[in-house]
Amino acid sequence: MDKARLKLWLSQYKMLALLVAIALIWAFFAWKTDGGFVTPRNLSNLLRQMSITGILACGMVFVIVSGEIDLSVGSLLGLLGGVAAVLDVVYKVPLPLNLAIVLALGVVIGLFNGYWTAYLRVPSFIVGLGGMLAFRGILLGVTGGLTIAPVSEGLVYIGQGYLPQLLGNLLALGVFAIMVFLTVRQRQNRARYNLPLAPLWRDVARVLLGGVVLLVFIRTLNGYDGIPVPVLILLVLLGLFSYTASQTVFGRRIYAVGSNMEATRLSGVNVQRVKLAIFALMGLMCALAGIVNTARLAAGSPSAGNMSELDAIAACFIGGTSMRGGSGTVYGALIGALVMASLDNGMSMLDVDTYWQMIVKGSILVLAVWVDVVSRSGRR
Amino acid sequence: MSEYLLEMRGIAKSFGGVRALDGIDLKVRPGECVGLCGENGAGKSTLMKVLSGVYPHGDWEGEILWEGKPLKAQSVRDTEAAGIVIIHQELMLVPQLSVAENIFMGNEITLPGGRMHYAAMHQRAEELVHQLKMPEMNVALPVMYYGGGHQQLVEIAKALNKQARLLILDEPSSSLTAAETAVLLDIIRDLKAKGVACVYISHKLDEVAAVCDTISVIRDGRHVATEPMAELDVDRIVTRMVGREIKNLYPKVPHEIGEVRLEARNICCYDPENPSRRRVDDISFSLRAGEILGIAGLVGAGRTELVSTLFGAYPGRWEGEVLLDGKPIDTSTPLKAIRAGICMVPEDRKQHGIVPDLGVGQNISLSVLERFRRLGRINAEAELHAVQGQIERLRLKTASPYLPITGLSGGNQQKAVLAKMLQPKPRVLILDEPTRGVDVGAKYEIYKLILELAQEGVAIIMVSSELPEVLGISDRVLVIGEGQLRGDFINDGLSQEAVMTAALTPVRKEYGVTHA
Repeated sequence: MDKARLKLWLSQYKMLALLVAIALIWAFFAWKTDGGFVTPRNLSNLLRQMSITGILACGMVFVIVSGEIDLSVGSLLGLLGGVAAVLDVVYKVPLPLNLAIVLALGVVIGLFNGYWTAYLRVPSFIVGLGGMLAFRGILLGVTGGLTIAPVSEGLVYIGQGYLPQLLGNLLALGVFAIMVFLTVRQRQNRARYNLPLAPLWRDVARVLLGGVVLLVFIRTLNGYDGIPVPVLILLVLLGLFSYTASQTVFGRRIYAVGSNMEATRLSGVNVQRVKLAIFALMGLMCALAGIVNTARLAAGSPSAGNMSELDAIAACFIGGTSMRGGSGTVYGALIGALVMASLDNGMSMLDVDTYWQMIVKGSILVLAVWVDVVSRSGRR
Repeated sequence: MSEYLLEMRGIAKSFGGVRALDGIDLKVRPGECVGLCGENGAGKSTLMKVLSGVYPHGDWEGEILWEGKPLKAQSVRDTEAAGIVIIHQELMLVPQLSVAENIFMGNEITLPGGRMHYAAMHQRAEELVHQLKMPEMNVALPVMYYGGGHQQLVEIAKALNKQARLLILDEPSSSLTAAETAVLLDIIRDLKAKGVACVYISHKLDEVAAVCDTISVIRDGRHVATEPMAELDVDRIVTRMVGREIKNLYPKVPHEIGEVRLEARNICCYDPENPSRRRVDDISFSLRAGEILGIAGLVGAGRTELVSTLFGAYPGRWEGEVLLDGKPIDTSTPLKAIRAGICMVPEDRKQHGIVPDLGVGQNISLSVLERFRRLGRINAEAELHAVQGQIERLRLKTASPYLPITGLSGGNQQKAVLAKMLQPKPRVLILDEPTRGVDVGAKYEIYKLILELAQEGVAIIMVSSELPEVLGISDRVLVIGEGQLRGDFINDGLSQEAVMTAALTPVRKEYGVTHA
């Protein structure tokens, strides 16, 4: 009986459980580093470190929810980051044009992957495996195996820059205003269609809680140098992807396709096109992650993004995305990415050997998915 | 020692309060072939699962005597050890493995160290295929090189290799051609002569009549009759199988029948696994506005295949022409069919109907999400409004449209799938087994809805294995048998016997179609 209740609790409060896990991890590292782990400087670094995995995880959630997988994202990140570096260093292409070219290239390669998977029916695992090799090979060819440096100031800002404090404060204020606006409008709409309304105090409490989280977040980051640009990008993506997942026709179809593709097709949805779009979006995210990565290193490296597909996939699964498709959230995946980044960062601070870091991360992944499976079993 | 090889006495089995079997007796003598007949859902498969040990002893009531001694099998292994082997409707062969490897699956002859003793296995397999009169079969070749008929015989060889003394054949000819079936029946006669007993389950009563010595008929989980075949004929078997009166389950709503709305011309569907076999063999029919067209026939006759072509859901190759309001339309994908005005509620609710991870409301709105799109966003309130309208119309019982659809009862899930396919406002609505696994109350509501839709002028095709249902609400009945159109009746005092007889009587093309 207790076991059953634990299962129910885990499935209902999965995100809460993850946040508790993060709190525990942070508390442990804070204790071990005498508070060094939770300084604004380190937290700012931590968030910047997770941004690349986070950007990839945003796209990967949709891929996995739709019942597919993409193993090529690490190599593709490296390739597109390398292209950005070559265009910048060798051809001196102006930054806006450079970004546009790389992002467009990402979409095109994503469409290519998607076409193989959705229309030519090659399993996405294989398409990804092939891409993983081929894209890395192209990258080595393009760079000649050399590091491309130094990249221009403007590009570096994307990876290493900070938002001025005033702008950060205004941004936080803006987000808070949007939160209030959305809540008010939702209440109005529900009233208009005679739908049951949540009690007013609960909506107010929700908005206030969001405000407090926002305040702590902005105060911490402003306590160092301000919001790092990559973190800003990640936050914008979190908003956009969550919105897409929960509010748009496209998002709904992603979940439907992953949950029961045949039933979705028989409901008159062009499931192939949905998959194609998902892969295109994944390609776009690879381009973005590649640019940020190149900017952060201030160089295009032939080994950039090595194994980062595994980090992104692990982040999704830790964050509760279902292996068999059909369920998963963007914020869950980002919390998963935060778990991975926290482990990386904390263990590095403690000077844990690299091999131990790998062992711990691998174990955490398996453990997290096991908890997920346990809380899920009994369904269907 | 008893006269009978097998005696099943008073077998009863319930599934969560529903009595699937209620005191069934079945007796088989050595070397006898017993035909087990009954409508879809009568309990034939359940009975065979009890016999073969799929449901272990203690999971059901009654007793089984095998050679006069009680048999208390815990699993299929126990019954196979005793000599009872079941051959399922779907073949259980591994296509990539050789004939011999398949015959010895799970029973391999091994050399010391676990190595397969191919020489011994091939030799024994050769003997078996000779015994089954297939000397031309190469036992070293993968099974997939042989057609459905030979594969069926490989299954039988596999059973014989297990020293089977009672062979249960569940719809063995459902994927065979007429010639292949004839070979199969010959082999069964041979086996009988060698003292192997058989239980033959088939909807094709002419086969049953040709090969069986005794017929046992069950209906609604009860034993109806056991008679020697010599005293029976196909008609009498049908009467015993049906033997039920239509109760007042079917609402009557007058509805007007209008112009021809849908025409299907020369539809042929080819089996995706066996492309030379036609699952649907050149069927044409038409459907009028406001008409309810029932499609009757036994399971596997080709009904689902026929209607799925109209909706772009048939997985294999098909030919034919579909016209809506006199104009040819493209029904190559469900999306195109829905846009043209044809909607279908599929037969298999779990596989093709519900999307388990979405809520009730999200399932209902899936077919028309575009309608709620405003600047790329779903207008959640408008969506909910539409969904609630459907929930009320269909009297779908759910506490909230946000609840997971998997939590609903079968009847309510079916209503949700129906609601989903009503949203696009179809001009032709295809319902494939709309009341399967649905309780009586929900059934009545579904019938009422169908009649209401007909009243609104929607043309309706209803495929159903429940004859009383077909006769209860259809205006016209098409009867399909073995992929052919075997009858097109106006439902005016049409009897179940007439439909059953039509379904079981092969029609030569040149005779045309029988009209009652």
